[in-house]
Parts: sequence; C-alpha cells; structure tokens
Amino acid sequence: MFSKFKKLKLATLAFATVIAGGAVADTIKIAGWGAKSGPLRSFGVNSEAIIKAAIDRVNENGGVKLADGSMAKMSYDYYDSACNAEQGIAIARKVASETNALIGIGPTCSGVAAASFGVFQKKVGDSSDTGLQMPLLTDTAVRNGLAKISQWTFRNTPNEPDMYDKLFAWIAKTNPNIKTIYGGTETNQGHSAGTYSKVIVQAAIRHGFEWVNGPIDEVSDKIGSGFKNVLSSSSNWLMEDTNFSVQARAFKKSGADLFIVSSHPFTTCGFLKELSRMKGMPKMMVGLTSSSSAEVMKGCPKQAEGMIIPTSFAPITAAAKEVAALAAANGGSADLHSAASWENVMIIKDVIEAVGITGDPSKVNEERAKIRDGLEALETTEGLIGTVTRVQDEGEALKPFVFVHAKNGNWEVLHDPRK
Amino acid sequence: MEYYFGILQNIGFHTLLGLSAYLLLLTGQLSMAQVGFFAIGAYASGILTVIYGINIFLALGVGAIIASFFAFLVGFPALRIKGLMLVIATIAFSEIVRLYFFNLRWLVEKDGVEVGPDGAQGFREIRYFAANGWEPSHIVSFIWIVVILVLFALWWLDRVKAGSVLRAVGEDELAAQSSGINLTVVKVSAMTGGGFIAGIAGGLYAHSTTYVDHNSFTILLATFAVAYPILGGLKNVFGTLFAVIFIQGILIEGLRFLGDYRNLLFGLLIILVMNFYPKGLINIPIFNWSKLFKRRDL
Repeated sequence: MFSKFKKLKLATLAFATVIAGGAVADTIKIAGWGAKSGPLRSFGVNSEAIIKAAIDRVNENGGVKLADGSMAKMSYDYYDSACNAEQGIAIARKVASETNALIGIGPTCSGVAAASFGVFQKKVGDSSDTGLQMPLLTDTAVRNGLAKISQWTFRNTPNEPDMYDKLFAWIAKTNPNIKTIYGGTETNQGHSAGTYSKVIVQAAIRHGFEWVNGPIDEVSDKIGSGFKNVLSSSSNWLMEDTNFSVQARAFKKSGADLFIVSSHPFTTCGFLKELSRMKGMPKMMVGLTSSSSAEVMKGCPKQAEGMIIPTSFAPITAAAKEVAALAAANGGSADLHSAASWENVMIIKDVIEAVGITGDPSKVNEERAKIRDGLEALETTEGLIGTVTRVQDEGEALKPFVFVHAKNGNWEVLHDPRK
Repeated sequence: MEYYFGILQNIGFHTLLGLSAYLLLLTGQLSMAQVGFFAIGAYASGILTVIYGINIFLALGVGAIIASFFAFLVGFPALRIKGLMLVIATIAFSEIVRLYFFNLRWLVEKDGVEVGPDGAQGFREIRYFAANGWEPSHIVSFIWIVVILVLFALWWLDRVKAGSVLRAVGEDELAAQSSGINLTVVKVSAMTGGGFIAGIAGGLYAHSTTYVDHNSFTILLATFAVAYPILGGLKNVFGTLFAVIFIQGILIEGLRFLGDYRNLLFGLLIILVMNFYPKGLINIPIFNWSKLFKRRDL
C-alpha cells in the first residue's frame, strides 16, 4: 500500500513527465486525397471507404499508442483532387500547411502523384529546398518509379515489372500452345501506355512470345526497349473513346494467340464488348493490373471471361476477405489499389507506435519528420495477402501478388506464384 | 498560409491565361489557341530551366517569345476566318500542340536521374522554385507582379488610342478598315501579344506545379481561357480577374467539400451569372467598381 506521500510523489512525477514531454493529443489526424469526381471517381470512393474501415478498426481496438503510453483515436479527412494536378497540389499544400495531419494517403491518379510529389522537398534536410515536408504514403497511383521524386513520398503499390515477368513465365510454362501476341492500350493514359509499351510487351518477349507480325524494331526483353515502336505497331485508343470498332477489327485480323489489353476498366469493357461482337476473342487475354477491379465485373463480365491479370489483392486470406466485406459495407470495393489503403493505415499506426509520437500540434513538423524516418526504416510490412518488402532507398514496395482470371462474373485466383 | 499562396498562384496564372484571350476578344477573335501557346510556354521554359539550367526570368522570357512566335504564325491564317471557323481552326492548332508534346521525348541525364519531357509520362521535376530556395511567398509575389504588370499594360492599352483601334476592329471590321485601320497589323499583333501573355502564364504554371503533361492542355482549359473574359465582362480588364477569382477561388476551391455536386453547382452558377449579368461579373452592383476602372472614351 502506498503512503499518501508516495502517492503524491508519483502523481507529481507523472504530471512532470507529461509537462516535460509536452502535451499529448487524444486524436491523431491523417489526411487522404484522391479522385472523388470525374471519370476516375471510383478510385477515390474505394480508397476513402477502406481508409474509413481501417481507422474504425484501429479505434475499435483502442486506438494508437502514443509516446507516453496513452492511447489516442485516429481520425481522417478525405479530399477530392478530381484526378487533376492543380487540385492535387492545392490539397497537398492545404494538408501540409493548414492541418495537423501527420501523414497523407494518396493521391489516386499517377498524373496527380507525379505533379504533387514534385512540390515536396526532394532531399530530406536540404535547407535550400523549400518543398513541402510531410510524409505521404500512396495507395493507388501505380505508374512506375514515382516515389523517388521526393524522399518524403512513399508508395505501397505493386511492382508491375515483376508481376508481368512472372505472369508471362507462368503462361509460357503452362500454355505451350500460346506463341504469338498482339495488343493495344489507351495512349493518353500514362500508366496504361507506359506499362504496356515498356513493361508488358518486353516481359512477353523475354519469355519467348513473338509479336504476331514479326519482331518489332528495337524491342528486346529489356524494360522500355523500343517502346515507341511498340505503340506504333499496336492498335490503340484513347481514354475518352467510346467506339472501338477499328481497334477490335485490328486485333481480330492479327490472329494472335494472346491479346494484351492494357487499359483501365472504362475502355477495357468498351473494347471487349466490340471484340466480342466481332467474334474476335483469342485463345488468351492479359489485362492491365488496374482492370482487376469490380468495375470490369460489373461492366462486362461475359466479355472479360478468361482475361488474366496479375494483382496484389484478391480475397484469398481471412484478412483480405474481411477488408473486401468492410469496403462493400462502406460503399466501396476492394481491389489492388484501394486495398492498399487498409495496409497503409495499419503501417502508419505501427510506425507511430514505433517512433514515439505525442500528437502535440506544436510539434507537428518534428513528428512528421519522425514518421518519415520510420517509414524509410521499414524493411517489411504485413500486407493483406502476405508480407510486403520495402525498397528502402526508393520508397517503393514489392508486394506479393497472384494471377486472377475472370470467371463467372468474378475475379478468381488462377495461380499463386509463391506456391 | 502555403495553401492560400497555392490558390493565389493558381488564380495568377489563370488570370494571365484569361487576359491573353481578352486581348484577342477585343479584336473580335474568339481563339481556342491560347492553351496551345500556354503549353508551348510551359514546355519551353521548363526545358530551359531543367535541361539547360537557365535562370527562371530568362527562361520565362524565351518561352513567351517562342509562344508569341507561334501566335504570330497562327495570326495570318486566322485573318481569313472568323466566328465558328476560327474556333475550329484554333482548336485544331491547340490539339496539334498537345499531341506534339504528347509525343515529345527529350530525356537528359542529370545527377544520375533522367529529366525532361517523356511523352505520355509527362515532364516532371520542373522544380526551379523549390530547388533554388524560393519560399511560397516569393513565388506568389513573383507571379502577382507579372499579373499586375500585364493587367496594368492592358488597362493602359485600353485608355490610349491603340485600345480604341482594337475595340473598333472588334466592333465592326468593315467600318474599321474604312477608317484606315490595317486589319492585318491589328489582328496579328493581338494574336502575338496574346500568345506572349499565354506563354508567360504557361511558364509560371509549369514551374508552380513542377509537372506538365499533355492532359494539362486540353480543350477544357482552352474553354476556361475564353470563359474568363466573357464571364467577367469585356468592359475592362478587371472583369477577367473577377471571373478567375469566382471560378478558381470560389467554385473550384470553395466548393470542394461538395464532391461530385460541385460540378453540378459549378455549371448552374455560371448559367445564373450569365443570365443575370450577361455583360459580365464586372457589372454586379456590389463590385460597383466598373465606373472606377471604366475605359476613357476617346
């Protein structure tokens, strides 16, 4: 039993500790932003739905542990950047300078990420660089190599070169009857066109597939080789297109065994419907990672039947199934982009607990830097379908992935390359 | 404050873009080519600072001169057409420019990193301001000094004989020509001047956002460029400024919390303003500044 004196001493000590350590917060704020309006609004809607679910889960479990051992709730604000670079930059500036958010999640569009990452400080500690100093952990913007634009920006997005390399290796091994390829992309969408012309076609060639009309000049198995010639040899469309008869005819006429359809769900469905109408379906189809989403299954399940896509999210574990259900309950859907939001919230919680955050608004800049350092130091994180390896010097992730195919109106796992 | 500085930057280069269209509208030319000149200024000045390491002031100047040179070239064929045909022709020009930059790949290795325009992947790392220690307050001050200079120049132009000549051509080309006004000189000069202003605006935009790609220069931006002076009113140069504040400051930033409904309300508000104040925002009584800024009758 403590004496009154001892109790008083302990109370004084605890009070002094809190005073010395500064005020602690009862809420830790984070911010998210992505396209919630315009043609790509589903990205932001899905992302926000899962951030909300993840934060609810953290708070149901007591919240996040602060430096002094107390627990604080997490809260978030989500902003609509409309897939527009100017608006994305305005939000990044707003969050960094007008809020106490310790970290941001987003943006969803690669073009906005490429623009807004540029307004962040390039190298940490460079006093001559006046860029924003706030950590950002992106969930959706998947275009290759964006995180290295700034040391404050990190991504938890899939590594497409690795995914397509493994996919074509597996197809070559399991489908020896597939020999020739042909494809197309939406050329005014950076991610679709870049991944198609620099990654997918080269991966296919690396594993012995042949372009149906003979080799394309300068294209080898090396990433990015001859990408301009890849585009000019393909049958392409634009993201705003609604008529695909010319392209579908070219695909059909090519007679290739395997078609590569590198586009987002909106034009993927339009194209596949036209191809199907022309009875031009090939033996096999490979799609872009971004099309392994609910939109394709809602828009053209019959026409997409059999399409194979590598994805970093599929409801193959109990955690992934639960997140898919929670996303649906919040009015969104879980896919390879949005599911990363769940992982990001959990990563942020773990980092906050590891680096010792007070949540004191007067220390917001100092604590943002601590969180950034904590993110950079991560070697692995727990993902929904397995362990994610961090590429520390680039701020990128190597996420586990599976191959899914469209079957009976659902994306079903076709192969797990880890097995 | 950085957020508000960011909004002021946006308002600044959109005002310049609107003013470039305003100059042409005075001569009766509805040009959708401003976004093309804006893109030329953005890419040219970006290439100069990023690849060649040139000072921002020089880069903006050279970018604006290149844009005005193209505007000069566009000005001659534009003489032969007017109205809807001019709109179509200038849209075609802007699309040619956009598609040129969509295909432009000019990558140079600097400090182990490839920089420069990269086709559909865009042009990143146009970080002159941040990399040279410019604080947001410096950037916004610089942009607004340029805006004020251009506003003042156009305001002054409207108060001297040259302004009357521009308006005379805009009101009635035949009558102006009968009075001895050289239409070619006036219209091509307006197009060149508009191109110069749009070129500066593009350069400032590229350096503020640090990234441009072909999607930054679509017909939507060209529509905004002509909508600003029309919505604001052509009575004087400040109408364009009011319209930009109304659209960029109030409708886009102020209504962000409305999500998708923002776009609906956006259109509705513009329709209402155009219905109640067809001669532009400058005529709204609460401003009541139109008399103060009214051009002098010559």
